[in-house]
Amino acid sequence: MNEIIADFTVLENLPADEKILELNLVDIFLAEFGRLKRVIAGMGLNVADCEDVLQDVSIRALRQSQKFGTKQECVRWLIRVTINQCLAEHRRRRSFRRKAGEILKRRQQHKICQTDKKAVLAEELEIVRESLQKLDESLLGPVVLRYFCDLDSKEIGRILEVKSSTIRGWLRDARLVLAKRLLERGVEP
Amino acid sequence: MTRKLCEDIREMLVDYADGELSPGQSSEVTEHIETCENCRKLLTALQKTLDLATVVWENGLKETEAVKKPARPKPRKIHWFRYAAVAAGILIVVTTSIVWREINRPQKTKISFEEIERSITESANAARLLAATELLVDYPDAKEIVEQQYRYIAQAYPRTPAAEKIKVKIQ
Repeated sequence: MNEIIADFTVLENLPADEKILELNLVDIFLAEFGRLKRVIAGMGLNVADCEDVLQDVSIRALRQSQKFGTKQECVRWLIRVTINQCLAEHRRRRSFRRKAGEILKRRQQHKICQTDKKAVLAEELEIVRESLQKLDESLLGPVVLRYFCDLDSKEIGRILEVKSSTIRGWLRDARLVLAKRLLERGVEP
Repeated sequence: MTRKLCEDIREMLVDYADGELSPGQSSEVTEHIETCENCRKLLTALQKTLDLATVVWENGLKETEAVKKPARPKPRKIHWFRYAAVAAGILIVVTTSIVWREINRPQKTKISFEEIERSITESANAARLLAATELLVDYPDAKEIVEQQYRYIAQAYPRTPAAEKIKVKIQ
């Protein structure tokens, strides 16, 4: 885990003009594999979806003809493509999830009956999981990159090609939405 | 607590929780939440959702641990053996055709140095004899000798320019 977090620190500390002579996107994809997995996990995809997304991203990396001047640009491109693939996967599976959600809920309720403390935590986690799934597409990516991947607003802005002030606004909105949903569901902070 | 003030503070709460406010704004929020229970609850909820979300994300990440790196696509293998076989085939065909042409080419008659030397000597002798005979042509008494000389040159040096000239003259 620490290694993955350290990876993100490296991204921030990379010199802006670091030129790569032989820029091989597939090599960078393999080097950034852990980081991309973290992004996908944050975006709420399961193992099977995660494999699909990584497969798609690797294929896109193989086919990518756009030239990148620096490793930073490559990594940003990879993260952006990964987030977009995750959102596409969410859209594709939304109808399936709606049906499967009911089954999962029932199973979860069965699990909750073990101990009170565990049950409360499980319920709270479920609320947050649901809230994250229902979060607007434009908000989920920035939230994951900021709070799970420890990137700052400026870097997120560069990755998603949006102003950093807009990112700050989205992060505020997302955090408030999540907190209010928790309160609405009667969870005492 | 006025609703307007709470709304203003809530706008700043996320940045406050993330420690991104200026010291002045930060102390303003701190003062407010000490007295406003709703805003304090919201701040706590903000932190709690983040903690819970982190647990959700970490659980998701644990699930993806089984996902292994895809194998690096192998660089296209160059089949040197095939190329070598094709090159060898071409070489064999070209060599065979060259050898075949050489074998079937009509052979040129080779002339040795001695033959050339003899030919020159014969031509020179014939020319010298012809020139000497030509000197006698104007004398009527020497007509028989001239004809005899012509015949001799034509017989003795048949493949010389002098013999060719004599043939023309006799005809």
